[in-house]
Amino acid sequence: MGKSKFIQSIESLFGITPKEDESKKKSIKELIQKLKERRILIKKALKEETDILKRDTLKDHLFVLKKQIKKGREILDD
Amino acid sequence: MKKGVLFAIILLLSYVFSQSSHILNIAAGVAIFLFGMFSLEEGFRAFAGGLLERILKLFTDKQYKSLLFGILTTTIMQSSSLVSIVSISFISAGLIGLAQGIGIIFGANIGTTTGAWLIAGLGLKVDIATYAMPMLIFGTLFLFQNEKKLKGIGSILAGLGFLFLGIAYMKEGFEAFKATIDLSQFAVGGFKGLLLFSFIGVVATVIMQSSHASLVLIITALGSGQIDYENALALAIGSNIGTTVTAIIGSLSAGLDGKKLALAHVIFNVLTGFLAITFITLFIRLVDTTAFYLGIAEDDYTMKLALFHTYFNLLGVMLLYPFIDALVRLLHRLLPKAQNAQESDDVYFITDSALDFPSTAYTVLIKETKHLYHNVVDIIAQSLSISFDDILSGMEIDDIIQRRNTPLFVDMEYHYEHRVKEIYGKIITFAIMAQGKFGEETVRDIVPMKNATISMVEAFKAAKHMQKNMLFYLNSNNEAIKHEYNHIRRNIIKVLRNIQLILNTNEEDIAVMLLGKIKLDAQKYDIAANKSLDNLIRTQQISYAMATSLMNDSTYAYTIASELAEVAQILFVHHEQEGKETREALILNESDMKDLSTHLS
Repeated sequence: MGKSKFIQSIESLFGITPKEDESKKKSIKELIQKLKERRILIKKALKEETDILKRDTLKDHLFVLKKQIKKGREILDD
Repeated sequence: MKKGVLFAIILLLSYVFSQSSHILNIAAGVAIFLFGMFSLEEGFRAFAGGLLERILKLFTDKQYKSLLFGILTTTIMQSSSLVSIVSISFISAGLIGLAQGIGIIFGANIGTTTGAWLIAGLGLKVDIATYAMPMLIFGTLFLFQNEKKLKGIGSILAGLGFLFLGIAYMKEGFEAFKATIDLSQFAVGGFKGLLLFSFIGVVATVIMQSSHASLVLIITALGSGQIDYENALALAIGSNIGTTVTAIIGSLSAGLDGKKLALAHVIFNVLTGFLAITFITLFIRLVDTTAFYLGIAEDDYTMKLALFHTYFNLLGVMLLYPFIDALVRLLHRLLPKAQNAQESDDVYFITDSALDFPSTAYTVLIKETKHLYHNVVDIIAQSLSISFDDILSGMEIDDIIQRRNTPLFVDMEYHYEHRVKEIYGKIITFAIMAQGKFGEETVRDIVPMKNATISMVEAFKAAKHMQKNMLFYLNSNNEAIKHEYNHIRRNIIKVLRNIQLILNTNEEDIAVMLLGKIKLDAQKYDIAANKSLDNLIRTQQISYAMATSLMNDSTYAYTIASELAEVAQILFVHHEQEGKETREALILNESDMKDLSTHLS
């Protein structure tokens, strides 16, 4: 077990979260990254999709993802 | 206890106390000691919401860790009863498995032996009352504080103070008693004595509900020479069996697994007691031999008793630990799951014991809410003339609609009475009880669960109202209205499928994205706004009556989708304590959805 992982597990054991805001921002950053990767995958799928209904669904997903990424960035900027 | 019996006991004790002040001293010692135990348990309960539960979750993934957990916590808290109650509560909530629970109970049996060492080693050899006084003073000071944890420390200190004071009173009582009556003349030797004193040990512990209190009584009596060594050993064996009564009482309000754990506790303690009685001479010889190497004097019987207590508990664990899995199988056979004779569904996880600790209450609420969700969605699917399996299947939605083209009536009222109402009522009651019992932080987690339950019932009601027209128009010869109602079915199936994905996926980004998509789709249900209704009326494809029904049912469909989306969001955000805020942060709220809809239109 690495030093930081050990400290993390001790912190979680005793319920100590001294840098709550920092860790929240870090997790949001990670989630935004995942959403960005998901957006790339959906864009690729959209290029290959021919069915109109399925294309509409994929487009909706892209709109939602765009909005969520924007929302996440705003939280990080605050 | 019935009032008459209580009154008779008080009268009898009053008479005995009037005859002997020494017995009064001993009884007062027991009472103070028991009060100390209560106070100590109360103090540790103040920490149960945090540290204890986190340790339990982290260190009980393997059986040997459970054993160590049982040893350590019982040694620290000096209460095997509290440890077994915590385990029963956690097992009922499904936070730990039965095998882990048994490991903890085994460990608690070893941990509890440290009490005998403390009493024999410190309690009798040091003027313990001297330490009691400052502890009581500091404890009371802490008790005056407002903060829960400081109050907890106060209870622990006061508890320890009372324990010490109780021991001192008992010691004093027995010493003084010795000058007037020699109880040791009532000693019974041989196997008969062994059985008789074991039985007395069981009864005394059942009455006091604390093996620690019995042990301290035995050790102080032995220390003052009021009982002989062999009888004291038998009493210790009996107290070990009698202590299981606390777990049995605790399990009465617990779920089936909690009852199994209490039974495991009984099996273990009775079996080790039986072994200790059967091989008592061997144990005595082992104690005599090893006592010498441990530096215990030949005539130091109190320390020898502590050693004996440790040996037979240790032996029990060594013999049974390899067979925990077999014990689990035996318990499953002895206490099988009751066949559901009645037609009504009931709660799976909610029990009174789950209300003992905040995290068990929270976990149980999540699990029960999911249980209700499954029932509600199953019935809603049937009201759409499809099955829940269709939603779970990989079949295209259009294929489902085509295959399930025969409208089927479902008695929603009957389903509500038998599969929703009872569980709904119990979840709400449990949530209200938990809100009243725990701190603000827990209440913040519990309120959304209550809201999720209410949302499910709203969705259910909407499906019930929608069913009547749906059945009628799916049978209609008018293709346009049939098409519209199939459109509603299609949309709801899509929502239910997406929710299933949200609840089952481990990918947070997918869940967050699908939640946004469900909310976006729900916006499209407003048939009056999307002009398709106008078109249907203008081209006279549907009548005014059909149009009214369609408008109402579109609103019901919107209610189903939006309420269930709310449920999905709550269950997703709260599926584990860690990272709740992050998951919640990126979920699109109402104003985000409005922005998005405006942008799309």
